[in-house]
Formats: sequence, structure tokens, C-alpha cells
Amino acid sequence: MTGPSKPFLNLGRRRFLQGVGLAGAAGLVGMPFGRAFAAEPEKPKEIIVRAWGGSWVDSLKKGVSDPFTEATGIAVRHDLTEDNEIQPKVWAAVAQKRVPPIHINWDTTTNATKSALRGVTEDLSDLSNLANVTELAKPVGLDGYPIVNTYGYVYVLAYRPSAFPDGAPKSWKDLLDPKLKGRIALYNDGIGFHFPAQVAGGGKLEDIPDNMQAAWDFIAKIKEQEPLLGEDPDFTAWFQKGEIDAACTISTNAREAKANGVDIAWTVPEEGAKYDTDGLWIPKGLPENELYWAKQYINFAITKDAQQVWLDGLGLPGVVPGVNPPADLVGDSSYPTTEADFKKLIRISSKVQVEHESEWFGKFKEIMQG
Amino acid sequence: MRPSRTSYPLSWRLMDAVEAIAAAVWPRSFSAAVPWLMLMPAVVLVGLLVLGLWDMADGSFRKLDTATFLPSDDYSLANYDRAFTEKLFFTVASRSLIGSLIVTVITLVFAFPYSYVMVRTRSTFLRKFLLIALFLPFFIGQVVRAYGWLIILGSQGMVNEALGFVGVAPIRLLYNYPAVLFGLVQYMLPFAVLMLAPALTAIPEEMESAAGSLGANWVRTFIHVVLPLAKPGFIGAGLVVMTLSLTDFAIPAILGGGSQDFIANAIYDQFFRTSDQGMGATLALLLVAVGSIMVGVVFALFGAGTLAMGRSK
Repeated sequence: MTGPSKPFLNLGRRRFLQGVGLAGAAGLVGMPFGRAFAAEPEKPKEIIVRAWGGSWVDSLKKGVSDPFTEATGIAVRHDLTEDNEIQPKVWAAVAQKRVPPIHINWDTTTNATKSALRGVTEDLSDLSNLANVTELAKPVGLDGYPIVNTYGYVYVLAYRPSAFPDGAPKSWKDLLDPKLKGRIALYNDGIGFHFPAQVAGGGKLEDIPDNMQAAWDFIAKIKEQEPLLGEDPDFTAWFQKGEIDAACTISTNAREAKANGVDIAWTVPEEGAKYDTDGLWIPKGLPENELYWAKQYINFAITKDAQQVWLDGLGLPGVVPGVNPPADLVGDSSYPTTEADFKKLIRISSKVQVEHESEWFGKFKEIMQG
Repeated sequence: MRPSRTSYPLSWRLMDAVEAIAAAVWPRSFSAAVPWLMLMPAVVLVGLLVLGLWDMADGSFRKLDTATFLPSDDYSLANYDRAFTEKLFFTVASRSLIGSLIVTVITLVFAFPYSYVMVRTRSTFLRKFLLIALFLPFFIGQVVRAYGWLIILGSQGMVNEALGFVGVAPIRLLYNYPAVLFGLVQYMLPFAVLMLAPALTAIPEEMESAAGSLGANWVRTFIHVVLPLAKPGFIGAGLVVMTLSLTDFAIPAILGGGSQDFIANAIYDQFFRTSDQGMGATLALLLVAVGSIMVGVVFALFGAGTLAMGRSK
């Protein structure tokens, strides 16, 4: 594999300097890069960022990691351990006062909130670029910035157009059509589906979390349709292999499947779709210099330049004003930008989700395993 | 007469020196402890396992506080109460138990003729072929084999394509309980054959010839001679297959389509999906207990079979 060309290198450095907000403050424009961080702590050889695989890590690498390496000389290694599996390892390392196995965790905000509540996250309030982000970057219900949310995403209803000859499904209830028996898929813990099911089942969002019987009743009806239950990669594979015709999944997965040549489209049904965020956080226990550079990585990730490239790949709206949607997602319901777009989406605070997640997962599993 | 140098060569002298050093380090009076010393690695390994189980036992009595995501300081039976009262855990546990029994029976039925032919055949080629066919799957991991079945049995897989040639519409062969049991049987078959083969080898062929010479046809010989003498193999193979099936994770996860979880999948969910390590530890300990009881019952009723290493019990 050949390295990047010189012009790209220069651009990367300039982008990074602009991004971290150091250039203006220190008058570093035009300064040889080696001196740009002369007063900074010692650089580690590499930092380790946990990430999801496929187009997720490819986008992060292109938009954030590679420019960061070009600018600092610090290699970025992506650890593709599942987010759920890295969590107990990080928790154990912090509890045993060991150096954690990763520098940065790219995580769902709900999972990250658990780590924040447990007290294993570093405070990121001193990142200079937080001055330029929207309120979406701030985790709800937590003090300071133990996590920096980096973008939002929608659990859309992805479907195979050939299976819906009359046009896109309008409601989640359309999944109850007998012709779709055995041809639909959900996440195996029901994530993304609980809240729209509450509406589709005739309940109210205000009743979450106290009364979700409407959601469970609707999910019980869905169970009669014998859905497949899986994880992100399963959905793409199942669409490709003709196993399913519709699924509740993150729009990024549907877009990736489409890019791979699968005949697929997606929509936000009339009941709405779950909107959630992912973020970056740093576990406690890193040496001071590594903590510093891990923070610089996150600081760079919330610059406009980094977000533009990273989130172009993911097809998701970021937390920095002025980031342009990819051409194929302009006006798309899975890429909310206006107040009207957000009105169609369902957002429940991470704190409520964290406190009730175990109970909801258990109930969903109980129905589906029955 | 003085012995020549060649009658007591240098290598012997070296060995004497080594023995002298060994005697200084480990005197002959310590010799009774040698077997225990050799057992030490195994004792250390089992000790570590017990330590881990002890730690899990401690965790199983602590309830997760979802306000801090830390286990409670005080002990309670809350996790055990959940394990015994929540329908999900009952469903998954009963599916695992019944599944492991079904898989054990089917696997033994398939494994016996394979082992018998492998042991009794006079054809070297056939024996080698059966041995290679037996060991080949060991070089392919469980996950890869399960994915292989996705390719073969999927809606657009080889089987459905073949059915399509004769005008049969695609049918769902995967993501159900039978698919999980099928995958487990295929995975367990080599284990069962390997456990059965030594027991069948130990049956003298003359016993079968004698039965035949006394007028028994092959069915009577099989029922009254071969099967009883193969009992130790059946017990050993059955125990291995049953315990491995009961605790399997990958096959139910991959071939079950998410709706055919076994206990191991439920434990994974608690540890890694809901971050409730106390509940995960509770389920894991209950699985160990149930598996141990099942093995204990078989030992009590039928003995340990080939696992008894030649002892009667």
C-alpha cells in the first residue's frame, strides 16, 4: 500500500491545525510541523481507538484517524472489539488501577453513559472545539462532558422495494402483513424498535418508561411474524442473501447495503423512528501524555473538516454547524437537519434508557424467545 | 582388575553426575511426593477455575445498581429470584436441556455405526478415509462450520437451489430449533465417534463370532453382545456430547436467527449486553450446577463409562 501523496499530506496538516484550534492561538500557520507541538507532552507511538468494523471504521479512518496521524505522527490503531465486549475489560482495568486496553472508545451514548455513571470516564470539558458544537454533543443528564456525542442516527425501516410494489411502507404496522412472515428482521435486543412499537401499539411516548404495555403488545404481534434477530452485519447479509424484505436498522447499514448493490430503500414511518447518538470517550487510568493526545484526537473529531469526511462515509448528521449532507441524502428522512425533520423522530434521554435498558431487553427477549 | 575406560563410558558418568545432583535437590525420601508434584499443574489450573467460580459466586449475590452501574455492597438473593421466576430464563434453560438430550441421542445413533465400521473394517483405505473424515472438521472451527451451513441451507443456498430445479419453492431451513439441533449434531459427531471407538476396539471380535456360531443372527448379536459391551463408550460419549451441547454458544447464536437462545447466549447477554455481571454470574453458576447434577446422575445410574479409565465405577 502506498502512502498519501504530498499535497494530501499538507492538506491534512492544515486541516488538523485548523481543527484543533491551535493554529490561530499559537500563530503556527506556516510553521514547520515538528515545532507545532514543541511544547506538548511526549507523543506515544500510537493510540488505540475502539471502533465498529466495515464502513464505520473506514469512515473514521478516512475522516479522523489518518489526518490525525498525518498531523501528529501518532499512529492510530483501530480495535474492532465489540462495544459491549470492550466495556467490561475497561471497567475491570479501571477498577484494578491498570492502564486501560484502549485510549478512546467509540461507543453508543447509552453504553457510554453506563461507563460515565460508573465513574470510569475522563472529563472532556476542556476540549477547545466544544465551543463550536451544537447542543447534540452534550450528553443529557450527566455533569460536564464525560462523553462527547459526535453525530446522531436514525433506526429506519429499511425495505426491499420489490417486496412493496405499492410504494414505501407508511407504518411499522405494515410489518404485520402476512406476506412478510419470516421476512423481517430486528436487532436481537429490540434496540431501536421499543419506542416506535409503543406508538404503533397505540400507546404514548410520554408513558415511557412507566407504562410500555402498548409496545410489548405490538412486539408480541411482530413475534407472530417470526422475525430474524441479529446485529448490524446480519442485516446487510440477510438483505444480500434474500432472507428478509424489511428490517428496523440504522440507516448507515441500509446505505452500506445499497452501496454494495442490494436493492434497498428506507423510510421513517408515520409513528416515527428512534433517534439516538454515538460518542467518543476516554477511560481513566491512561498516562498523562497519552491522555493529552487522546483528547486531541477527540478534539479533532469534532472539527468541521473531520466531521465532513467522517460523516459523509456514515451518512449521518454531525454536531458541528455547516457540515453538508452527502448528495444522496439531501432531504432524506434519515438525515434530519430541520426542526420538521426532528419532529418525526423519537428521542428518549440516555439516562432513562440506561436505567431501563436491562428491563426492556429482558421483556423483548422474553417475547421473542417464547 | 581395573575396569577399562570403555566399560564405564563418559555418558554413564555424566548420568551419574546428573543423578547425584537430582538426589541432592530432591532426596530419595521425597519420592512419595513425586506423583503430587506431577499433579501440581493440573491442581493449579483447577484452583484458578475454583477461584474464578468463587469470585462469580460472590458477584451472583450482588444486585446491579443502575444509578451507578456498580454491584451492590450488600448481599441478596435478588439475582437468583430473577433466575427462578422470570419466564425468559425458564424458556431458555428448558430449551437448552431438552436440546442437549435430543442432540445426545441423535449423535450417538449416528456415531455408533461410523465407529463400528471404522474399528471393524478390514480395508485400510476405508479406515483411513473414515479417520480423515472424522478429523477434518476439527481443523475447521465451530463458527466457520456454522457459517458453512448458512451457505448450504440459506434461502438462496445450495439445498434450496437444488429444490428449485424440481419446482419446489424456497423453504426456510435455517433460523429455527431444528436447524440448531442439526448444527449441534454435526458438530458433536466427531467427539462421539472418538469416545466410542476405543470402547468398540476393546470388544474382541471373537465374542461376535462366538455368538454367531451359537446361532445368533447379526441382530441378536448386536443387541445382546455388542451393545452391552459398548455401554462404557456410550456413557462416555453421551456425557461429553450432552455437556458440550448444553453449554454451546455459537451454534444457537448463528443458526438460531436470534430466537433460539441457549443458556450460554443468555449469560452472554447479561455480561455484555445489559452489563449485569451479577445476573450473568448467577446464570453461569446455575448452568455449572445443572450440568454437574446431570453428570452426577449418569455416573450414579450407569457409572462413568470410558471416563472411568478402566475402573468399574
